[in-house]
Amino acid sequence: MTATQPKPSTTTGAGETRILTLIQAINEAMAEELARDERVVVFGEDVGARGGVFLATAGLQERFGPRRVFDTPLSEASIVGAAVGMAVRGLRPIAEIQFADYMGPGFDQIISQAAKIRYRSGGQFTAPLVIRTPSGGGVKGGHHHSQSPESYFCHTPGLKVVMPSTPYDAKGLLKAAVRGGDPVIYFEPKRLYRAAKGEVPAQDYTVEIGQGAVRREGTDLTIIGYGGVMPDAEKAAQALAAEGVQAEVIDLRSLVPWDRDLVLTSVAKTGRAVLVSEAPRTANFMSEVAYTVQEELFDSLLAPVLQVAGFDTPYPYVQDKVYLPGPNRIAAACVRALNY
Amino acid sequence: MIQPFTSDPLRWVAEDGLPIRELPDRFTPAVLRDLHREMVRAREFDKKLVTLLRQGRTTFYAQSSGMEATQVGLARSIRVGHDWVWPYYRDHALGLAMGVPLLDLISQCLGTNSDLCRGRQMPHHFAAQRQNFVSISSSIASQVPPAAGNAMAQKYLGVDEITVCTFGDGATSEGDWHAGMNMAGAAGAPCLFVCENNQWAISTNLRAQTASETIHIKAKAYGMPGYYVDGNDVVAVMEVVSHVAEGVRAGNGPALVECLTYRVGSHSNADADAEKNYRTREEVNAWLARDPITRVERLLDHLGEPVSAEERADLISAVHREVDEAVLRAEATGQPDWRIMFEDVYADTPVHLREQAAFLRNEQEGVGA
Repeated sequence: MTATQPKPSTTTGAGETRILTLIQAINEAMAEELARDERVVVFGEDVGARGGVFLATAGLQERFGPRRVFDTPLSEASIVGAAVGMAVRGLRPIAEIQFADYMGPGFDQIISQAAKIRYRSGGQFTAPLVIRTPSGGGVKGGHHHSQSPESYFCHTPGLKVVMPSTPYDAKGLLKAAVRGGDPVIYFEPKRLYRAAKGEVPAQDYTVEIGQGAVRREGTDLTIIGYGGVMPDAEKAAQALAAEGVQAEVIDLRSLVPWDRDLVLTSVAKTGRAVLVSEAPRTANFMSEVAYTVQEELFDSLLAPVLQVAGFDTPYPYVQDKVYLPGPNRIAAACVRALNY
Repeated sequence: MIQPFTSDPLRWVAEDGLPIRELPDRFTPAVLRDLHREMVRAREFDKKLVTLLRQGRTTFYAQSSGMEATQVGLARSIRVGHDWVWPYYRDHALGLAMGVPLLDLISQCLGTNSDLCRGRQMPHHFAAQRQNFVSISSSIASQVPPAAGNAMAQKYLGVDEITVCTFGDGATSEGDWHAGMNMAGAAGAPCLFVCENNQWAISTNLRAQTASETIHIKAKAYGMPGYYVDGNDVVAVMEVVSHVAEGVRAGNGPALVECLTYRVGSHSNADADAEKNYRTREEVNAWLARDPITRVERLLDHLGEPVSAEERADLISAVHREVDEAVLRAEATGQPDWRIMFEDVYADTPVHLREQAAFLRNEQEGVGA
């Protein structure tokens, strides 16, 4: 991998690592958290014997039993709402929503209950829970299996929102989410489930929510992305390197809170920022990043902040690959910034 | 004796105060007096809060006059501080009877520093950790799936607790209600669902709310028993809810109790002239004649232990004094300042909130530029 492995926020000793896929890392994180803490329960549609439609929970029910890993009725409102009630009563629920596209029926429970209960009760009641959900395109899923709804949740105070792109981060962020005190929406870029492979420590570690990672160091411009677009961002940086351009590549990993220091330090150094996200362009979370960069670094910018995003259309089935910001579109935006 | 799915509401005391079934031994005159006192307290709380509303000292209030037997009866049928309650926004009589201090309720309505919820919620949206009285939401029925989850956690933990989830008749039209009922049923969770059927969802009558003949029969669809109770008969509410709660606690799974009652006042200050707009004076008068407090007084008369006019007047003035004192005590604590905006958003305070708080501190305190 060309990516710079992010520094773990906390580790308990160095040691053995293995090569895992992103989904194996997610599975391992849940298995370890289930083993570590009796309060942790895993549930959702088909997560039990089936192991989840993508097999993220494969083997967990067999190992931990149907009391701790179980199937629920086909109802996102129930799944999320029950997670809230369980968390309030002292459990550590990990709820799976089968596709991020189906979060609609659970939306009220997320924004009215999970996100608000600590605040509105003056801290008397809290709901530390994790909602895991596959998101994003690139798997020929059409518009009900490919959307990137993260911005809806980033707009709701009280929620933390993360989206890993490497197995290392997937495991570390999930463990941090389970152990934290807040509701966390954990988006899984489904096209990387098996495409992303990387070293994962055998020993326990977490990745602190709110910290980004530098995937590649550079001096000429900064490419900032998260989730499924990261491999393409790195490919774009490689192509630019062949032309003598050194792009710095940042993976946000966490959207709420996001690592403004890392982004601003990098863009202050390079003077140019290209923001990459596959979610629709309008009110895309990256608009917030762009706004912050221009507010904080207006005087040192060498070019306007540019955004490469999905289009403001429902996600198309046939033009799946065209919709996504691929390496060429990212590199073209970089060239535009460099030539400004 | 206490059967689910009856065609008529289960009742112990008729509107004239005469028992129509044998009065259970536990309803001694002393117990009935306690129930009467609690219901009067809730009724007078309503009156005083409407006054505070008119004075502009609070901005929202949802009366529960007429529903006291349902709420007080429910409070007296569970293990307060042991069982968990996910209430709805018209449940102050339930909270009061569960022992939530009147000062705490008043403080929440006034949004003072003594408010346990720290002035962040609309008035009349309480939370009381000591009583396991979970924070009230405005969004209708959104407490139902979490209540199911709360009960699932109780089952998982193997504790001798149940969860009580209350809602009005309107809530039964929401998707969340069906989702939560179904989840609790499928999970066999110890959840006692109580519909405080006061027959009006703001201006929408039950007949426009559902084509279902009653609410309690909907329980069939979720594999749980549904009980139909005269919600203005506190004896009936306690007899049925205690019986059903015992079954839920014993591991029989969830149950639904529909308490048929009536909201005598308006929905809130938003529809203060309800009788002019969407219901008739005749209808309201018919329900006033079934008043739950009067019914207990008539029962005590019948038992030869009447509540004297003087006794009742003393009770009312004592509540008024209690509310007045609570208002003064709450107001003396002042209102929370800008800091409460940024606390309790998360378990920790992320850097972006710390920066926004610093900005507001400068603006509010005139520090820096």
